[in-house]
Amino acid sequence: MIRSFNTPRVHSRGERKFAWAVISVAAIMATGGCHHGVSLQELPADQIETTLFFIGDAGEPDPRQVGAPLDSLTVQATVAPERTIVVFLGDNVYPGGIPAEGAAEWADARRRLEAQVKAIPPGARGIFLPGNHDWADETAFGLYSIRLQERMIASLAQGRNVRLIPGNGCPGPVPVDIGRLRLIAIDTQWWLHSYIVRDSSSRCEGSTVGAVTAALRSEVRPTGEGRVVLVAAHHPLMTGGAHGGYCGVTGPYRRFGGASQDILSSANRTMRDSIRSAFSDHPPLAYVAGHDHNLQVLRGGRNVNYILVSGAGSPGKTECAVRMRESYYVTQHRAGFMRIDILKGKGVLLRVFRYPATKHGALAYTRWLELR
Amino acid sequence: MIAARLLLVPALAAPCLLRAQVAQPLPVATEEATPIGAIPPMPLPMPASRDQNYWGFRFQYGQRNERGGPEDLFAVAAGVDYQLRGGSIFGLTGGYQGRRNCQTTSSCGHALFGARGRFNLFTGGPTVASIIGDESATSTIGTELGFGYAPRVAPGVNACTIDVGVPFSVAMMQSVRIVTFVTPGLVWDVDCSAEETSSDRSAFLGFGFGLQQLFVRGLDVNFGAQRIFRGTTGLQFGISVSWVRLP
Repeated sequence: MIRSFNTPRVHSRGERKFAWAVISVAAIMATGGCHHGVSLQELPADQIETTLFFIGDAGEPDPRQVGAPLDSLTVQATVAPERTIVVFLGDNVYPGGIPAEGAAEWADARRRLEAQVKAIPPGARGIFLPGNHDWADETAFGLYSIRLQERMIASLAQGRNVRLIPGNGCPGPVPVDIGRLRLIAIDTQWWLHSYIVRDSSSRCEGSTVGAVTAALRSEVRPTGEGRVVLVAAHHPLMTGGAHGGYCGVTGPYRRFGGASQDILSSANRTMRDSIRSAFSDHPPLAYVAGHDHNLQVLRGGRNVNYILVSGAGSPGKTECAVRMRESYYVTQHRAGFMRIDILKGKGVLLRVFRYPATKHGALAYTRWLELR
Repeated sequence: MIAARLLLVPALAAPCLLRAQVAQPLPVATEEATPIGAIPPMPLPMPASRDQNYWGFRFQYGQRNERGGPEDLFAVAAGVDYQLRGGSIFGLTGGYQGRRNCQTTSSCGHALFGARGRFNLFTGGPTVASIIGDESATSTIGTELGFGYAPRVAPGVNACTIDVGVPFSVAMMQSVRIVTFVTPGLVWDVDCSAEETSSDRSAFLGFGFGLQQLFVRGLDVNFGAQRIFRGTTGLQFGISVSWVRLP
């Protein structure tokens, strides 16, 4: 294209100076605004009613040493085990859950589970949730593998209050009420499993998607003033990790392959829509899940106040996570867990710990969880 | 062989040369007049939940200086974007471009319109940002396709462009996000005037930085600069303010 440069050039130095001034101010604002104030906020022990630890996808502990997340969790939980609940968010045994006794992998599967059960200090309550790998890595043996895991956990617990819920391969929901806390456990792999999910020995209260959704709707309804309702499951309702269609070139297109474990698949969407619809009248404070091997604190939207992804329990399996518009906090390629303290008659404090710790320590993020 | 190549070059160039001889002299190049050259570049969209589609709105101001003779240009534009499943964006833009200190009695300004698709191919870990050890850094590489139209850039002459690019951006930090980006690409000006004008292709390179989630979760402010490698089109820079409506 030919141009005619037939007019004198006007040099506008003032405009350029103004533009640079705007850029400089913005840079200063950014530096100040991005200060992420993380300080160790110690709470008086007598102010804490209940402490919950959420750690997911911890089924691959190092065979030589337990590893920083489990070690640190044990140390923190030992302070006041009588008011402590440790929740393992599924994928407790990689890669294929508990095999039949006598299989070559049985001993190693037991070793993986034992490391987690032992991380729960005496006096503390332990809850294991089923994940897709616990359902024999989504194979036909899944229902039987999850029952084997339930029995093995009971055996390893040796009478302590440590169990797998929902049990017997049932979908749940199973409520756990302690003081102001109502923790509701559901087995999301039951919704996604492509093979047998019930048999003659199943005695589940609800065995259809509609019945489970209705039961969940009933359970999240708060039964008293100041009730703190948390829902725990293996699969997240939202994630910026690989299962959310990020962290890989194929991410946005994996749904075409029918991967039900991914957010974008139709099976997964159906499950999440059902769960969200159950929350619509009484949004719980938080939905806590694992599945993606990172740590994310997310804004939940209309049906749930917060979505927490705490699937970084195995140091050798940590993965990428993308910070989304809904993200309050994200850390990737780091192991860790989340801790929620319910204060007596007061607030609910979330803390995120990640390892290896930086020079500022392992505590990476704190937030008061509030109902919107 | 060499002789054949020497003969081939003028043969390929001949149509352009012939068209140039009958072309209209314009106060601005076609690439400068449509959104690709008139308004500042922006980074790829910040990822969001795959569950939702998002509407976004933006206001942009750009100016093009150091044009080697003619007046500096300024442009204001507004646009609406639709982010599909938290990833790719489809947007429409409308605006106005004017010439500062215009000394002619006509063609001192014109409207401009554009449509653009920006497709996130990969959104993942920190890549180059791992150097500074930011645990929350996100890298995004994508591709974009844009169409631009500016009527009556000069009497009887409309400007039309098609551009393709391969933008790359890295966003860092937890609270207010700092994003840096580059937007290399190619732009073609195509004939869309009643009178015959020439057509050609130019490379361009945009770059800049921005602040994502400034004060509120949906608000971004970006500063961008761009050079089109053609003649003396000068350097364009400007600001874009965008807001995404979160459900």
